[in-house]
Amino acid sequence: MSGGDDFLTTYETPRLARLAPNLFAACFSLMKILPARFMLERAQAAGRLQPGGPVAETTSGTFGLALAMLAAVRGFDLTLVSAASLLDETLRRRLEHLGAKVHVIDDPEGSGAQSERLNRLKEILEDCPETFWPQQYDNPDNRLAYGRLAEWMTRTIGRVDCLVGCVGSGGSLCGTGSFLREVFPDLTIIAVDTHRSVLFGHAPGRRLLRGLGNSIMPLNLRHEMVDEIHWVGAFPAFASALRLHHDHALFMGPTSGAAALVAAWYARRYPDALIGVIMPDEGHRYQHTIYDDRWLAVLEGWPIVVPHEPDTLTQVEARGESEWTRLFWDRKALRTMLEAERGA
Amino acid sequence: MVQNESTARYDQPKSGKTLNGGRKEGLLQVGVGRAIAHHGELLQGVFEGEDGRLHRGLVTLPLAARKSTVTFWPNGEGAIRCRPANRKKAARAAALTFNHLGYSKVGGDLTLESDIPVGHGYGSSTADVIAAIRAAAAAAGVILRRSTVCKLAVEAEEASDAIAYGDQVVLFAHREGLILEHFGGEYPPLLVVGFRIGRARPIATLRLPRARYDGQEIEQFRVLRGLTSHAVRQQDPRLIGRVATASARISQHHLAKPRFEAAVKLAEEHGACGIQVAHSGTLLGVLFDADERGVAARAAVLAETLGQAGFLGIMTFTVNVDGTLLQ
Repeated sequence: MSGGDDFLTTYETPRLARLAPNLFAACFSLMKILPARFMLERAQAAGRLQPGGPVAETTSGTFGLALAMLAAVRGFDLTLVSAASLLDETLRRRLEHLGAKVHVIDDPEGSGAQSERLNRLKEILEDCPETFWPQQYDNPDNRLAYGRLAEWMTRTIGRVDCLVGCVGSGGSLCGTGSFLREVFPDLTIIAVDTHRSVLFGHAPGRRLLRGLGNSIMPLNLRHEMVDEIHWVGAFPAFASALRLHHDHALFMGPTSGAAALVAAWYARRYPDALIGVIMPDEGHRYQHTIYDDRWLAVLEGWPIVVPHEPDTLTQVEARGESEWTRLFWDRKALRTMLEAERGA
Repeated sequence: MVQNESTARYDQPKSGKTLNGGRKEGLLQVGVGRAIAHHGELLQGVFEGEDGRLHRGLVTLPLAARKSTVTFWPNGEGAIRCRPANRKKAARAAALTFNHLGYSKVGGDLTLESDIPVGHGYGSSTADVIAAIRAAAAAAGVILRRSTVCKLAVEAEEASDAIAYGDQVVLFAHREGLILEHFGGEYPPLLVVGFRIGRARPIATLRLPRARYDGQEIEQFRVLRGLTSHAVRQQDPRLIGRVATASARISQHHLAKPRFEAAVKLAEEHGACGIQVAHSGTLLGVLFDADERGVAARAAVLAETLGQAGFLGIMTFTVNVDGTLLQ
C-alpha cells in the first residue's frame, strides 16, 4: 500500500489460507519485510537514517534477508553480523548477492555467539556512528509495524477471537495482538515458543527448531498480553509443516508448522471461535532440511506421531524435541509467573 | 437519502432579458437543493492514501431525519444574497458552483431552511453548503458528480464531510474533499439513540485545534479501516459498533467528552453494538443492530434512562432500515 515505489511492499500482504471453517492463516512469503521496511522508514522520517546510509544488524535469519532485500532496492549500505553455526551457505550467498556485507563469527560449539556478535556490531557502530541499527528485539517500531497485519485480519476475517503466533522478538504477536485487542478486548492471545528458549522462563539450551524462541529476552515481548503459552518441540513442528504441505499444498517453514499445529488444535476445541494464525515464511529455505527425507532420517527420535493435543503443564518446564506442552499464562508478567512458581 | 434536486422553471423576467452570466449562455432557473445532517462520525483519524501519505479522514454517520433545504432564485447579474444573511459559506458555495459550471457574475437570492441544530456536530454548516451547491446546479439544470460536490464544499468551507455520498459508506478526507476508500456498500442497518453530552454551548468546528495522533493511534486507524470494510461487506452492525467505540476512545485522548465512560457502560448494559461520537462536537450515539429482535424496546428504555441521567437532545433514528423495526 505504501508509496508503491517498489514491489517489496507486496510481500507485506499475506495470502489467506482457510485451514478450517473457523481457522484463517495469514501466509507470508517473508513476513520480516514488514517490520524491516517500517523500521527503516521510521528511522528515515526521524532523521536517524539518511538515503543510501549505513545500516547494521546482528541476525542469522529472515530479518537479515528482509533487510538485505530492502537495502538492495532502496540503496542502503547494509552490514550483517552472524554466527557460523546459524548461517547456512545458501543464505549467506543470497545475502551477499543482494549486496550485503556479511560478517560471520566462528562458533565451533554452536553457541550462536550472541555476545561476540553484539561486540562486533558495537565496533561497527563506533567506527561509523551514523550507522542505523534497527534492533528488532527492542525497537518498538517492530510492534507498530504490525498494524498492517491487524488491518489485514480485520478486513479478511472481521471479528477475531483468538490470535496464534510464534514468538522470537515478540513483534508480530504482541504488535498484531495489541491492535486487535483495542477492538476485541476479549481476544485470546496464544504464544508459540519452543523448549529451551528463555522467552517464557526455560533455561537456555540447544534448540533444533530455529526461527522462533530466543536465548535473550527482547523488550518487544509483552508477557502480560499472553493468555496461553505453547512449547512446541522441533519434531511436531517439522511434522506439522510437512502435513500443511501434504494436506493444503502450503509450502511453509517449520515455525509456520508449529503455529498451525497449535491453531488447528484450538480451532477444533472451540468451533465457534474465529482464529487467526500467523505463518511467517515459506519453505524454500528448508528444502535441504525439513523437506529433505535424508536430513530428517538421521535425526534421533524422528519420525514421530504428531500429538493430537498438548500436555497441559502446571508450571514452566522444558521437555524433549518430540513434545508439545502448554501452560495457562493468564496475562502475567514473566517475573510474576516465575516468582509465583518459586513460592509454590 | 434525501438528494432530490428539483428544478422549477423560472418565469421570464419582465424585461425579457435572459439571465446571461457572461461566459455561459443560457437561462438559470429556480433551483432547489437538499442535504441531510449527520450525527458525527463512525470513524475519524488519519489514513494512508494511494499516494502513500497520511490524510485526515472520516466515516460519517448520516442523519436523514434532519436536513437543510436551499433555494436559489436567479436575479440578473451581481452578487448572491443569502437569507438568513449570516450564511456566507452557502452563498460562497453557490457562487463557486456557478463558476465551476462556467457562469460568472451570477446574481440572485439564496434562501436556507434548515431544521439542523447548529454547533453540536450535526454538520449543519456542511448541509447548508452542499444544499446550496445542489441548488445552484439545479438552477443551471445539471446534476453534479458527488466527488465534485465534495470538492466544491471543501473549497467553500475548508472542511466538509461525506454526506454528499448519502447511503454509501466512504472514507472521506474531509479537508481535501477526496475519497480515500469507497467501502463498496451501504451502512449496516442501525438504530441509533443519539444525545448530547457535556458542554451546552455550541462548538465552532473549524476553530478546534487538529488532533495530533501518535504512531500507535495512526496504526490503530488502519485496523479500524479494515474492520469498517468487513462490516460494510458483511452488513454487520456489531462490527461497525466496535469501530465506532474504538474511534471514540481514541477521540477521548484529544477532545475528551465528560461522562463518556458512563455512556459506554449504559450502552453495554442495554445490549448495544457500540458508541459513536461527533469527534469535533458534543454528540454521542448508542448504536444498536436494527435487525435484532426487541431492539426498539431496548432503545426506548435506554433513551429514558439517558433522559433521567440528565443527558440532553435525545433523539432516536435509523440508518439503512426498511421502515419497521422488529419488536
